Amino acid sequence: MKSLKTLYIGAGILGTLIVAAIFAPLVTSYDPTEQDLMQTLSGPTGAHWLGTDALGRDVFSRLIYGARVDLTIGVLAVLLPFIIGVSLGLMTGWFGGKFDSSVMRVVDTVIAFPFYVLAIALVFIFGPGVKSIIVAITLVGWVAYCRIVRANVLVAKELDYVHAARLTGLPTRRILRRHLLPNVISQAIVFSMSDIVLSILAIVSLGYLGLGVPIPTAEWGSMIQEGQPYILQQWWLATIPGFMVVIVGFALSLIGDGLVARLER
Amino acid sequence: MSTPLISVQDLNVEIKTNRGLLKAIRGVSFDINGGDSIGIVGESGSGKSITLKAILGLLPNNAHVSSGKIFVAGTDISTLDKKARRALLSETAGMIFQDAIAALNPVITVGDQIAEVPRFRLGQSKSESRQTALKLMEQVGISDAESRFGLYPHQLSGGLRQRIAIAIALSGSPKILFCDEPTTALDVTIQAQVLRLLLELRKNSGLGIVFVTHDLAVVNEICDSIKVMYAGRFVEAGNVHTTFSTPTHPYTYSLLKAAPDPDEAVHRLFSISGEAPNLTAPVVGCPFAPRCFAADDHCLTAEPALLSIATSASACFKSSGHDTWAASDSKSGVK
Repeated sequence: MKSLKTLYIGAGILGTLIVAAIFAPLVTSYDPTEQDLMQTLSGPTGAHWLGTDALGRDVFSRLIYGARVDLTIGVLAVLLPFIIGVSLGLMTGWFGGKFDSSVMRVVDTVIAFPFYVLAIALVFIFGPGVKSIIVAITLVGWVAYCRIVRANVLVAKELDYVHAARLTGLPTRRILRRHLLPNVISQAIVFSMSDIVLSILAIVSLGYLGLGVPIPTAEWGSMIQEGQPYILQQWWLATIPGFMVVIVGFALSLIGDGLVARLER
Repeated sequence: MSTPLISVQDLNVEIKTNRGLLKAIRGVSFDINGGDSIGIVGESGSGKSITLKAILGLLPNNAHVSSGKIFVAGTDISTLDKKARRALLSETAGMIFQDAIAALNPVITVGDQIAEVPRFRLGQSKSESRQTALKLMEQVGISDAESRFGLYPHQLSGGLRQRIAIAIALSGSPKILFCDEPTTALDVTIQAQVLRLLLELRKNSGLGIVFVTHDLAVVNEICDSIKVMYAGRFVEAGNVHTTFSTPTHPYTYSLLKAAPDPDEAVHRLFSISGEAPNLTAPVVGCPFAPRCFAADDHCLTAEPALLSIATSASACFKSSGHDTWAASDSKSGVK
């Protein structure tokens, strides 16, 4: 029951954020990029709940619109590596042989580099922007899924029901899809929850480094960067977007934990 | 004589382990025909299950057939490519496993699992395959098949699961059913039901049965012929009844003696002393000799071949004296 609770709390937090992001125009009346140079760096007021930034843009509104960008890219940047990694993991684990060892050597190579070094280098090569962020994170991120699924397949393919399916002469495609995939995918799903946090963190970090979503689009990473010069006076400018990342991470961790407990029952 | 459905000739299987190359099967030969019922018995690690797996192409990655041939319907399967081999085997043989819950996919309903082969291998439509599955469920004695079609394996009892597993094995209408200790995990009454079902299937549809177990009583009940396995070889082969009444290999003799008799009060149960040999080391002499009551020096230096004597075959130098064992082992203190 405790697992269900964590699952629901996590889903509740994330759900609220997603709903707010989708209906952003209804949640806030300010345009996130509209400047009001008469009112810059104001503290929280009745009109601007979280104050305004150096260009007089409403921080709350930027935060909500930023959720759109960061959550979308975060999910996309996990979905693609998930699909690629799971399919390759399934096939390498099942077929083995030369195909397996060559894919695993690529995996080893990617893993040899620290995540950020490779991701930043790739974004730098492709040029800043949403597309290159997703491509870069996909190129680096699929290896984890590949390894998780491959390891599970290696165990699962010696299970009796997989033997039984092979013996009855079912087509390989059918065995992989129907007998192996549903039984090896759960760990990958759980991992993807924490992976979304990682990818959002990566997007925010890239945004902070100026390699992310081009300005003036509202995005948490660039908000942190823009708030940094004022950290001693208007500390919330840089802190609150960071706090949003923490909240998303917290919610996803709860969901991940809840899923683990549910799947292991 | 017609070609046997499956013929195994001098099969050798090696397994790579941390402690070196393990010769799990050392020259096993036998034929299986339709309607046969063969029991393969032996203790754990004697190679019974590996023999089945080798025939059915289910050896784990660290094991391989090092020599010997397997003919299925007269074709040497090593000459076929993977796909053709799988197709030929699946037409010829089905298999049921010791643990039915492990042999069923936990996330697919049992009905769909039975309908899978008719649908995806035999090309039936969705409703046809459903009918086939329901018929199979009735054939293996599942009452109320319609309502159980949509249940998941964990919602069924152990006996029903094994019946489902049998139905899946039969769904490709194989001619031989390989059974790897299918009743070990079941309680005695359910065990009897499953055995009766197997006997019925054999009688009604001429299904050949190869039954691997360490339970001699089960072999006695459903098999015609028996092969006793020890250290990766058959040490005795023959008709079940003659073998049970007059074993010609000391190992068989000791195994039978070790089975407790409910009618006889004994102070201590008989056990075979020592342990099975380490098959990573080369076998010198008869592998059973160190544990054997009849062994002499010759047994320690040469390994006997499986030779026929009268109706059965025995791999023992001393088999000619088998009728004196009962007298001699009580004298030599084997209890």
